[in-house]
Amino acid sequence: MAEVILENICKTYGNNFRAIDQLNLSVKDGEFLILVGPSGCGKSTALRMIAGLEDITSGSLRIGGVDVVDMPPKDRDIAMVFQSYALYPHMTVSENIAFSMRLAGKPKAERKKRVDEIAKTLQLTSLLDSKPANLSGGQRQRVAMGRAMVREPAAFLMDEPLSNLDAKLRVQMRAEITSLQKQLGVTTIYVTHDQIEAMTMGDRVAVLKGGVLQQVDTPKRLYESPVNAFVAGFIGSPSMNLFEATLTGDELMSGTFAIRLQDAAFVRRPGLKSYAGRKVVFGIRPEDLYDSSLESGRKYQTIPAKVTSIEELGSEHIVHLNIDGVRVDSGDPDAVQDFGLTSNAVARFEPDSAVRSGSAIRLALDDTKLHFFDPETHLAI
Amino acid sequence: MTRQKRSHHRLKRAVAPYLYLSPSLLIIGLLMLLPMVTVIGYSFQNSAVLRRDPSFAGLKHYQAIFADPVFWASLWHTLYFTCMSVVFHMTIGMVFALMLNSDRINPTLRNILRVLYILPWLFTAVIIAVIWRLLLEPNGVVNSVLMQMGIIGSKVEWFSSPETALHAVTFANIWAGYPLFMVSLLAGLQGIPKDFYEAAYIDGAKAYQKLIFITIPQLMPIIISISLLDFIWTMQVFPLIWITTGGGPIYSTEVLSTYTYKLAFSSYNLSQASASAVVILLISLGLTLFYIRYQKAR
Repeated sequence: MAEVILENICKTYGNNFRAIDQLNLSVKDGEFLILVGPSGCGKSTALRMIAGLEDITSGSLRIGGVDVVDMPPKDRDIAMVFQSYALYPHMTVSENIAFSMRLAGKPKAERKKRVDEIAKTLQLTSLLDSKPANLSGGQRQRVAMGRAMVREPAAFLMDEPLSNLDAKLRVQMRAEITSLQKQLGVTTIYVTHDQIEAMTMGDRVAVLKGGVLQQVDTPKRLYESPVNAFVAGFIGSPSMNLFEATLTGDELMSGTFAIRLQDAAFVRRPGLKSYAGRKVVFGIRPEDLYDSSLESGRKYQTIPAKVTSIEELGSEHIVHLNIDGVRVDSGDPDAVQDFGLTSNAVARFEPDSAVRSGSAIRLALDDTKLHFFDPETHLAI
Repeated sequence: MTRQKRSHHRLKRAVAPYLYLSPSLLIIGLLMLLPMVTVIGYSFQNSAVLRRDPSFAGLKHYQAIFADPVFWASLWHTLYFTCMSVVFHMTIGMVFALMLNSDRINPTLRNILRVLYILPWLFTAVIIAVIWRLLLEPNGVVNSVLMQMGIIGSKVEWFSSPETALHAVTFANIWAGYPLFMVSLLAGLQGIPKDFYEAAYIDGAKAYQKLIFITIPQLMPIIISISLLDFIWTMQVFPLIWITTGGGPIYSTEVLSTYTYKLAFSSYNLSQASASAVVILLISLGLTLFYIRYQKAR
C-alpha cells in the first residue's frame, strides 16, 4: 500500500497535442480516487502514465515515496484492470490469475495456493478451470480483479472496468469493487466517464477536462460546491441547468421571467454583489425544480415553462422543458443528450406529477439551491 | 391457409436449398468426382485407356508401384520437400510478419518491406522455376556470390547434382511460398488486442515471454489451418520440379506428382499411373479430413 503523488505531470504527443497539462494529484494510502471526465479529457492517459504504459513528458510521479518516472511498469508495484479485462482467451481462469507469478518464476505450489486464496475471496473457485469465453461479464470482471490482486500491489489502477457490463450488473459490480477495495485497503485510482460511478464509489473524485484538472473533492462537495460551470454540469444526472441572466438589484432577469434572490444568497456569496447590473450565469439542478401544482412545489417561487417531453421512470418523471432564457453550455458534451434538441432545461418531478407533454406550466424552483458562475470564466462565484 | 397449400409450402422450403446447391454440385460432380472415380477404376484395369476392353487387374498395379524403389524414393522426397517447405514457410512467414507488425520499424520502411516480402507470391510457378534455374546455374549469381564470400570453393551444380538437387528445389519452393504465411499471420497479429501485451508488460513479461504466452497461442488457429493447407498443396507441387529438374538427376528430385506423370505420359502405363494417383489422393484425403475435423472442432 502506498501514496501516489503526481506533481506537474504533462503529456505532449509528437504532434504537439497536450493531453495532460500540469496535473497535480495526491492519492492517500488506501484511498479510492476516481478520475472522471468526458471522452478525450485525458483521464485514461493519466492512468496509463501512472502505470508506465505512456511516457511522462515532464513532471514527477512518486509511488510509495519512490520516483517511478523512469521505471518500467513491473517495478512500479502497481496492477491494472483494463476496460476489456485483457484476459487471455487460451488460458483458464486459474492460469490467467497466476500469469504474473508464472512470469516471475514462482513455484507451482505457491501459485496454486495464492490462486486458491484469491478465487475464494472473489467466489471464483468453481470456475478456475473455465476459459474466459465461458464466463459471464461479471465473472470476467472478477477474474480481471483477481489477476490484479495476485500481485499484492501497492496500488490498483482501473481503466473503466465496468463499461462493458449491462446496467444491472454494473450496479452490482460497483458495490462489489467498492467493498473489495475497502476490504483490501489498497490505494486505488479508478478511471470512468460515468459520473454515477464516480459519485458512488470513490472517497474523492478528480474531474478532468481537456487534460486540465478542474476539481478534486469528495463526491458530496463536488455536487454541492462545484468550482466552475463544467464541474457543475458534469456532476449530477441529468446535468445542472445553466442559464444566462442579468442581476438587477436582488432579481435575476432572464428572458420574460425574474427570480428573486434572498439576502442569504448574497451573504453566502459576497462576490455576487459585484455583478449587480451585469450578466451572470445561474445554475439549478433538475432535482431542485418542482411541479408547482404539487404540494412539494407550492412553497417556491415559479417561472413559466413549456413541457417538451416526459420520461416516466416509475420512481420519478424526467421532464424536458423549454424556458424563455439563454442556456449556457457547460462544456460537457454529454449535457446535449440530457437536454435534447427542442428543450433547454430538465427537471425531476415526483411520479404523481400530472404535467403533460406540450403543456405550459409554472415551474417552481428552490432559489436557495441556485449556483452562480462568472459569464466569462465560468468560475463559481 | 389450407392443409394442401401448407404442405406444398413446406415441400418448397425443403427442396429450395438443394436447388440452390445443384449447379455447384453438378460442376463438382462432372469435373472432380467423375474423373476421380474413373482414375480409381483405371487403377484396377490392365492397359487402361489404351485398350477398348481392359481386363480386371485387381491390386496388381498397386503391388507393382509398392515394389518399385522409385515410388518409395518419390514418397520420401515428397515428404521431405513438403515438411521442409511447410516448416520454413511458417518460420520465415512468422519472422517477416512480426517484423512488419512491429511499431519499432519506420512506417515508410515497413510499407516498402511489405511490398518486397510479398513479391514471390506474384510470380507463377514457371517464372519462379526459370528465375531459380538462372540464379543457381553453375555460372549463376548464387555460385559467384558464395565463392566470393569463400563459402564454397568451386562451382556447385545445384540442380544437376543428386546431393544438392532436392535441397535446391525445396529452397526455391520455400522462397515462393512463405508470403501466404506472412500475410495470414500478419492479419492474425493485427487482430491480437494491444491490451494483452500491455497487461503482460505490466506483469513483467519479456519479449520472448510475450511471444510464447500470447502471440503464438493467439495465432495457433491460423498456424494450424495454413500449415495443413500448405501441406496439402505442397504435396501436389508439379510445375516447379518439372521445369527445374524434371525429377532428376537419377530420380533425386522425383516426387509423387512427377513419378505419376512419367508413368502416364512417358511410359504410357496409365493403369499404374492411376494407382499412383490414387495413393496421392488417399494421402491428401487423410490430410483434408484432418483439416476438416480441426475446423469443426474450432
